[in-house]
Amino acid sequence: MIALIRLWLLLLIGLPILYLLVRTFARSLEREKLEKRWDAKQGPGAREEFIERGMALYSRSLRKKLLWGVIIVPLVGISTLVYMLNFS
Amino acid sequence: MEFLALAATLRFLFFALIVVAIIVFLIWQREHLAVLLKWGFWSVSALLIFSFLHYTLPQTDIVRIVGANTKRIDFGENSFFWSGGEVGNATGGATRDVFFIETIQPNGRPLVYRNEDTGWGWPPYFKLNSFNLQATASSLISTTESPKWVAVQHYGWRNEFFTIFPNALSMRQVAGPDVRIIPWASIIILTVLALLALLVWRMLAQFRERMIDPMVDRVGDELDALDARADEARDRARGKWGRFTGWLGTWRGTPRR
Repeated sequence: MIALIRLWLLLLIGLPILYLLVRTFARSLEREKLEKRWDAKQGPGAREEFIERGMALYSRSLRKKLLWGVIIVPLVGISTLVYMLNFS
Repeated sequence: MEFLALAATLRFLFFALIVVAIIVFLIWQREHLAVLLKWGFWSVSALLIFSFLHYTLPQTDIVRIVGANTKRIDFGENSFFWSGGEVGNATGGATRDVFFIETIQPNGRPLVYRNEDTGWGWPPYFKLNSFNLQATASSLISTTESPKWVAVQHYGWRNEFFTIFPNALSMRQVAGPDVRIIPWASIIILTVLALLALLVWRMLAQFRERMIDPMVDRVGDELDALDARADEARDRARGKWGRFTGWLGTWRGTPRR
């Protein structure tokens, strides 16, 4: 029982931290990409405005929502492993 | 007890001898100390990582099961290499009954597995069904004359010096001892580990590129500006001093001819 609680605590604390780190990393990559794109073409519009518009689009995109996989995939993986190893 | 004390003394002397030998070697080769320590550090790290993975990753053997028994084990120095008991049972006891699966390898050598729950702990295989697995093992017992070959997936090592056993995770009957087995589990785990290492490396690189370097640049710029201000101030001071000494000079008499 203690082992199960320890596992849950580890997942409850570890996975959100991992998610936040990966989200920050992905945002940083996106911003860098937008900066490089503007620098290559010198447009359209002002640099700051172009980047802010791109980031706003990104924050509503499917690519950003897929980052929830960082939390969902390990949980599904553990459940699948428990089922496959013990009950099939 | 006397024998135990003797064994402990011998073991202590053995390890002390190794430590002394390493120190003597390092002093003897002290011109190359930095290189030796660097290589020593990296080879010890690589050895630790390799042996950790070799112990923890699943491997599959094809064997013939000849027995499935229970034996009481009093955990001693080797307690690190045993699991914590079945899920839901009391943990941390000094003695417990453990399932064992006795097998014979195709080359005729024996190989004994333990069959313990890993539960929710380490390594994270989430094995809860050791009782069921023991029943499966019992049903697959076969004789030398009409062997049933079984692929046993396990992790861990058999070591006679510490009396430790690999822990069987799952088993299935296969056609023969030469069946080709693709280690999917290890492939997946190692791939995930490599991807995680790549992610950490890229994240650190991105963090350095986007956060640390600009900050260092900014601090550098500020330092440069500060330096420039200091130079300017020094110039100004020198200018004032120059004027002052010039003014003093006006009081000095002209040299006599």
